[in-house]
Amino acid sequence: MKKYALKRILTSFFTLLAILLVLFILMHLMPGSPFNDEKLSADQRSVLYAKYGLDQPVVVQFVRYVGNMLRGDFGVSYNISKNTPISQLIQTRLPISIQIGGFAVLIGALAGLILGLIAAIWHDTFWDTLATIISVIGVSVPSYVFALALSYQFGFKMKLFPMLFSAKMVLKSSVLPSISLSMFTMASIARFTRTEMLEVLGSEYMLLAESKGLSGPALIFRHALRNALIPIITVLAPLIVDLMTGSLVVEKIFAIPGVGSLLVTAIQSNDYNVVISLSFIYSAMYIAIMLVVDILYGIIDPRIRLAKEGNET
Amino acid sequence: MKRTKAFLAVLTASAMVLGMTGCGGSTAPASGTTAAAGTAAASAAAGTTAAAGTKAAASSAKTSATDLNVMLETEVESLDPQQATDGTSFEVIADYTDGLMQMDKDGKAIPALAESTDVSSDGLTYTFHLRKDAKWSNGDPVTAADFVFGWQRAVDPDVASEYAYMLSDIGQIKNAAEIIDKKADKKTLGVTAVDDYTLKVELVVPVSYFSGIMYFPTFYPVNEKFFNTCKDTYGTSPETTLSNGAFILDEYQPASTSIHLKKNPDYYDASRIKLSGINYQVIKDSQQALMSYQNGDLDMTLVSGDQVDQVKDDPEFKSVGAGYLWYLTPNIAKNSDLANQDLRLAITYALDRDSIVKDVVKDGSLATYTAVPPQFAAGPDGSDFSADQDKFKDVCTYDTAKATECYNKAKQTLGKDSFTFEMVVDADAAPQKVAQVVKEELETALPGFTLNLKVEPKKQRVQDLQDGNYQIGLTRWGPDYADPMTYLGMWVTDNSNNYGLWSDKNYDSIIADCTTGSLALDAAKRWSAMMDAEKIVMDQAVIMPLYTQCNAEMVSSKVTGVEWHPVALNRVYKDASKTE
Amino acid sequence: MTNTTEMNIPAADTFTDDDFTLKQNSSEIGIDTNFASQSFWKEVRARFMHKGSAVFGLVMIILITIFAIIGPGMNSYTYSAQNLAQKNLAPRVPGLEKIGIFNGDENLSTTKGSKIVNTYTEKKLTNVYYWFGSDNFGRDIWTRTWQGARVSLIIAVAAALIDMIIGMSYGLISGYFGGRTDMIMQRFLEIANGIPRLVIVTLLLLILHPGILTIIFALMLTEWIGMSRIARAEMLKLKEQEFVLASRTLGARPFFIIFKEILPNIIGPIITQVMFSIPTAIFTEAFLSFVGLGIPVPQCSLGSLISDGFNSFTTHPYQIVPPIIIMALLMLSFNLTADGLREALDPKLKEM
Repeated sequence: MKKYALKRILTSFFTLLAILLVLFILMHLMPGSPFNDEKLSADQRSVLYAKYGLDQPVVVQFVRYVGNMLRGDFGVSYNISKNTPISQLIQTRLPISIQIGGFAVLIGALAGLILGLIAAIWHDTFWDTLATIISVIGVSVPSYVFALALSYQFGFKMKLFPMLFSAKMVLKSSVLPSISLSMFTMASIARFTRTEMLEVLGSEYMLLAESKGLSGPALIFRHALRNALIPIITVLAPLIVDLMTGSLVVEKIFAIPGVGSLLVTAIQSNDYNVVISLSFIYSAMYIAIMLVVDILYGIIDPRIRLAKEGNET
Repeated sequence: MKRTKAFLAVLTASAMVLGMTGCGGSTAPASGTTAAAGTAAASAAAGTTAAAGTKAAASSAKTSATDLNVMLETEVESLDPQQATDGTSFEVIADYTDGLMQMDKDGKAIPALAESTDVSSDGLTYTFHLRKDAKWSNGDPVTAADFVFGWQRAVDPDVASEYAYMLSDIGQIKNAAEIIDKKADKKTLGVTAVDDYTLKVELVVPVSYFSGIMYFPTFYPVNEKFFNTCKDTYGTSPETTLSNGAFILDEYQPASTSIHLKKNPDYYDASRIKLSGINYQVIKDSQQALMSYQNGDLDMTLVSGDQVDQVKDDPEFKSVGAGYLWYLTPNIAKNSDLANQDLRLAITYALDRDSIVKDVVKDGSLATYTAVPPQFAAGPDGSDFSADQDKFKDVCTYDTAKATECYNKAKQTLGKDSFTFEMVVDADAAPQKVAQVVKEELETALPGFTLNLKVEPKKQRVQDLQDGNYQIGLTRWGPDYADPMTYLGMWVTDNSNNYGLWSDKNYDSIIADCTTGSLALDAAKRWSAMMDAEKIVMDQAVIMPLYTQCNAEMVSSKVTGVEWHPVALNRVYKDASKTE
Repeated sequence: MTNTTEMNIPAADTFTDDDFTLKQNSSEIGIDTNFASQSFWKEVRARFMHKGSAVFGLVMIILITIFAIIGPGMNSYTYSAQNLAQKNLAPRVPGLEKIGIFNGDENLSTTKGSKIVNTYTEKKLTNVYYWFGSDNFGRDIWTRTWQGARVSLIIAVAAALIDMIIGMSYGLISGYFGGRTDMIMQRFLEIANGIPRLVIVTLLLLILHPGILTIIFALMLTEWIGMSRIARAEMLKLKEQEFVLASRTLGARPFFIIFKEILPNIIGPIITQVMFSIPTAIFTEAFLSFVGLGIPVPQCSLGSLISDGFNSFTTHPYQIVPPIIIMALLMLSFNLTADGLREALDPKLKEM
């Protein structure tokens, strides 16, 4: 297990490097430049390129960028916040996205698990249908509609929560955004939990456990849920990363200074360093979570052996 | 049991991994953090950039009762006066910095830090006499050397300011162009501090609107001594910013969504300022903004065209000019059909501009029938260059009969019965809406005419226009300074913004006379010559103007004295006041 | 023990028919029915039909599809014709307006309080009806909703099917072979996942013309990852089971094992994931419309209608309601159908 984890971490470095290279190339294929193309002449643009080293060949820029990254210098922003070091931008924005995303994951996962369990245990009854309907609403209404509806009802009309995010009352103003973000997760987890639990509940070892005299919570949690967890974790893991790196629309609606809107704006305005750094962080988080998930597979289900070749007889 | 322990161990490990990968290392761990983490992160970031220790960021209530709560559509890009290029940054910088001139409510330049100005008779030398009582917020007096330092930064290729062309192409300051091209040292720039309170500027050719560009933040002074103490972080926080203007910056972070300024008690004109401070909030969703306004959280907000139905009967609703001209640009050089003037005239006659502004844009924008938009440039006699929107009525108006006539002529000359064109459009809500209506109008009025829409991200659209890789483009142009030349200069042969590559020798010579030639000094003659030039553009339908952008704003009845400008500084608050 | 001589049993040849009466207790005894071996799919269909919610789901899908085909033609409006004089009209249905609902009234909330407005009477449009109302260009929302449903269904189903084929194969192969193959394939997946979707789509649209095919292609490039993860997870679960070992011992080749042995066992989560990739596809298309990379105007999809209607959410909420309800119904139906299918297809539940 340890050797496997080590091997994975090592290959992760190469993967991240490969991602960086692809990103670099793709960004430089995007139309336009990071600067005001409409008002600047080609000569003026070349002065700017010279200052930031953008006139060098892509490979040279790449090598220099990676070298700087290892020293913690992620470059500067070209237009979203001119000449601001990316590390500073990320330092202020990422924790907020992670916080709200974290709340959303917690709410979504817990609510989803509960809904899914209810639907599975009392399946084909009214509760199942109700849980299904709730979770379907979660997947069929886009999060920005939820966001605006929640803000309108609970923020504007009922004045229970602030309508916009404010650094002065972080907890209170995070509630509505987190709930809006969590709806999709809740629905996904609920459906998956239900599917997996139904399969597990119908299998022979559950029958055996029941006939051994186990019932109720012990049965569900110690036996059933453990086995259903693997696909659930598989679905949850990338959702976590997605949520943590912010959702553009919810951030836009609640005026949250997070990384989701930063990334989209950067892509549209060719702010290369912002796109590359944020994508890099996103990929790093994704790889880390997938590694954790793969290790968890092995622990939860000892039958899974990842290190072995599959073709031995 | 052993398995559960292992399970828990891995769970904790993963939480730590998340924490470490998720944050830049110095701040709080991942999910499950509380309010403290949010504010701790904010103050940590501010702390690392500041030279001194005062933690102005987050927490305590800095807003007081007569603070003005203003909505911003987008974040500030830069608070470095020589680096900023967008309206939002300009507005905030001008709140806490004064330059040689300031804007009066009509957008004309009036003295600010320059008490008086002497202009030489050949128009090539300006001598500004600075007032002696202006101070920076650290106590230093504002001197001419501060201006020299700032202007040299603007042309310094190491700084690579995107607005450097304000000093070279537009300001025509001596040696500016050479310094930008790295052919001269920045110390040779034609601006000198004769003494502490006298600034001398030398131009290459006379520029009639020179005083008018002095209120652009690119020309604002910078305290060199202070700048050198925080070179890399200048303008990124209240601690790395100096104020010599009406307000002082006291809460700001790069790309933050809320900014706060408080009144500057040491401002030389402090008695004029009635607000206790300004509280900016960035809100990108207009429905949320309107609801915040109705809640009382905002005193001023922008309203989108879709919401105008809700507010048009409200006395607090007003429409203010934003200066942009939206127009269609046909690719005259590369498309043989569009090279035909009758076809172009047919297009411009077939456009129902009134319907576009009333039914689609709805925010009070003005239908425009001139190449230079109204309400932004006033001439020597004080009148608006484009006040008379009917002056080109014979070539530009909504007349489907004339459209058909020209269309038939074009069909005959070109020997075609139907035309298909592709129009490139920005992928934003407003241009797409306008494009759809334009398509409908043209296809209905001109049978056989098909207009296909090509929606692209803005950067792509700009590149296509500049490369000449388009047939018709829907684009807009915002004025860089308050003079019609900012528009008319675009259609000179080979100008990079002359997307259709139209060329006319007469036009070129008139423009040359006005900028560097015989008319440059005679304001009245220049003005009428520019009108002649505009006539050439309109007669040949080089572009089809659509409308001039206006913004729909809600302003609380408690607030008075806010000034809006279509050029340079969007809003000025020096005379604003708010009742309780 | 009874002494048989003491029982009054007549001799065997003295039994007559009158001595016997039918007990008529066929309902009490279990009768052995011969279950003729039915075809797998007949069983599946029978089990599916047995489940009420699944049938409801299927019926709704069929109904919506039918309306998607005939809906736009049901009235004289087209999906792209603009009529600026008749924009932003509330729903008005000829029959129902007499009862007082859908008569063109709308509750307009202005900054000075809300008021009831009827643009039809204001503009004297007595014979004009818009069943779902008209949007801010004066286009009929009924027609656009069904047109949008058509486009969304085509995009989503095409994308989901392609994702299923590509993603599933990738995940199954990666999971089965394990070791270095798995490692390389998963690393490649991580690289593909690390590139923001928006960058890929923007670049794609530089090369291809915006349209339905391009959207499907873009969705395909970005959504196959989820499916492959699920397939791999399920493969890992089942790889070590005895029936796989048995198959291998019998000499089956890897691809046979993957697709004929293991695949039928994991149909359940696969179908669930496909059913999930359909709303994801619609959502992704809506997000792309939001940033200008989606369906080119004036065409529409449910996603683009929702993002368009979003801007009028607080002024004319009726514009966003029909596409959302149709989308919700579609999702609900796909979910219920998927559940029914999953239970019907599950070989473990197969009765002998």
